[in-house]
Amino acid sequence: MAHQAHSYHMVDPSPWPILGAAAALLTTSGLAVWFHHHSTQLLTLGLLSMLLIMLQWWRDIVRESTFQGHHTPTVQKGLRYGMILFITSEAFFFLGFFWAFFHSSLAPTPELGGQWPPTGVNPLNPLEVPLLNTAILLASGVTVTWAHHSITESNQKQAIHALTLTILLGLYFTALQATEYYEAPFSIADGIYGSTFFVATGFHGLHVIIGSSFLSICLLRLAKFHFTPHHHFGFEAAAWYWHFVDIIWLFLYTTIYWWGS
Amino acid sequence: RGGDIRVTMGTAPFDSRFPNQNQTRNCWQNYLDFHRCEKAMAAKGADAAPCQWYYRVYKSLCPSEWVTTWDEYREEGTFPGKI
Repeated sequence: MAHQAHSYHMVDPSPWPILGAAAALLTTSGLAVWFHHHSTQLLTLGLLSMLLIMLQWWRDIVRESTFQGHHTPTVQKGLRYGMILFITSEAFFFLGFFWAFFHSSLAPTPELGGQWPPTGVNPLNPLEVPLLNTAILLASGVTVTWAHHSITESNQKQAIHALTLTILLGLYFTALQATEYYEAPFSIADGIYGSTFFVATGFHGLHVIIGSSFLSICLLRLAKFHFTPHHHFGFEAAAWYWHFVDIIWLFLYTTIYWWGS
Repeated sequence: RGGDIRVTMGTAPFDSRFPNQNQTRNCWQNYLDFHRCEKAMAAKGADAAPCQWYYRVYKSLCPSEWVTTWDEYREEGTFPGKI
């Protein structure tokens, strides 16, 4: 019986990478078709296939790791680097939108009345719902850390409680932000103020939803005893991502919501 | 040597509040300051002659299209600046 003389995981051939690329193509071209030809068919197809492929690819990774034991410490190290690099790239992604915000708000043009917020724009009061949202995300950072400690201390019950609470806080944030969007006196079409506000906070909200989804999968796996006190990288990756989302919010809140009002 | 016609020409002097190449803010600020000055003098019932400085500066610096557009906005009540 042949054994590998190294601690890496030579993955079996899989259809998901190339299908994932195809799904990305359908999604991006679908987006273009939606913008120009008012049809959402291709976009829907793209997003649906993307979802199915993500579920199956990640399901396979859980099979390879939790059930087949392929994730040695070496493999885990690679995954850690990967997650860190990914989050770093996301940080640069948001940096661009913050750049756009500061470019427009530090030197407001005559068209805006030479002021920020521009003439006619009534910004949201940063001490109302946005402050509550800040508290919610900070609290969720505490609960996810509580969950982590519970996992390392083999406390299954508390881990489930803490992770559930984290997810509920995330959903609460999303619900509040959705009502804020609905009730806001300005829209994305309201000049550069609307553009910078909704694109930055909108992408953040998307990341909250992604983070909540990731944490939910972790909750499912936690309940099924996939994690051990010493090996639970999926959870750690989700927790890192969640803290990142929290930090982005803190920047959004202090710059766009507070300084920008 | 032909006739030596001396013509004095001038433009807005250096304003250290706007030291860089992009002088948009200089034009905008003086346009605002002229109209604010006019409004304030009229409110006090005083002579608006001191306001002429701002007038001459913005006339010098601002592209005429901008001035026309801003005058129209003021007319319509849609001028975004605070006067």
